[in-house]
Amino acid sequence: MYGKGLRPLSIATVVMFAVTLSLVFFYAPIEADQGFLQKIFYLHVPLAIVSLCGFVIGGIFAVLHLRRDDPRWDAYSYVAIHISVIFAVGGLITGSIWAKGSWGHWWVWNEPTLVSFLIVFLLYATYYPFRYAIEDRQRQARYASVFAITAGAFVPLNFLAVRMSASLVHPRVFATAEGGLPGSMMFTFLCALASMALLWTTLVKFELSAKSAQGQLKRLRRALDAPSGPPASRIAPEVN
Amino acid sequence: MGVLGWIVATPAVPNDIGGHYVAAAYIVFILLLLIYVAIMAAKLARIEKGLGEVAEIAEARKAEADADQAAPGRGSEEPSISDSLAPHGSRGGGA
Repeated sequence: MYGKGLRPLSIATVVMFAVTLSLVFFYAPIEADQGFLQKIFYLHVPLAIVSLCGFVIGGIFAVLHLRRDDPRWDAYSYVAIHISVIFAVGGLITGSIWAKGSWGHWWVWNEPTLVSFLIVFLLYATYYPFRYAIEDRQRQARYASVFAITAGAFVPLNFLAVRMSASLVHPRVFATAEGGLPGSMMFTFLCALASMALLWTTLVKFELSAKSAQGQLKRLRRALDAPSGPPASRIAPEVN
Repeated sequence: MGVLGWIVATPAVPNDIGGHYVAAAYIVFILLLLIYVAIMAAKLARIEKGLGEVAEIAEARKAEADADQAAPGRGSEEPSISDSLAPHGSRGGGA
């Protein structure tokens, strides 16, 4: 059920990534100020943007879970956050590599963009111990949903706060007074963003499919243990 | 010189300090993906193994039910599913 459409999505992701990497290395011009190092931008920024959007999407799924009381939405929320945390790790590491090459330091503590992203990442890193500290499945799902909604609302607020902050050492490429990216760079960047969004969607579907299979296996085992028991009303991926 | 020749001739990643950092960033990304795929492969292997066990139990049950039907009056001495699963270790362990 959850694996439906996974194959075309995976193929689309691979093709899109091949196109994007070709554009990054053979089409997009070398930036005058940073030189070749700026190519990290096509990886680091989409990773960060997609992970932040994924956190918000996880929050939206959590709202749907609380409204509809359907465990599937909880699974969607969990998986969206899980994949976004992995993307955030990628964003942090690639950002650090860029910072070392550009600024000469792996990390700059007085830069609001970096620190705020780290705070968001650490916030979501607490999602797992928070979730699995609760044994009762229903309570676990409800509390995790409340967490996902609160943290999901914090993400755009945090983003806005950073944009409005005074210290802007971190480069800004959109909506700046100096103008944005040139056309070829913008096109490449948008392709990179689309690739990363496709990858995120593919991994979310893949993870959901695996969790669904795991859940159905557990149901099968339970059914074989107690064949006269009542059937489960809903098929939701097991979140554990 | 065709398109392939042009790609080979183009210095995609220059051998300078910037090139090294860019290569490092892209390698980190690929490594993250590979680690994720490896973890998922291990999970799927566990699911596959579990499905095999469940299929064996179901087949054994069906065979016993068929034998019972063929020879009515025989007592039911089949072990419980819990007993059948016990030697295999974890029962539906999570990931």
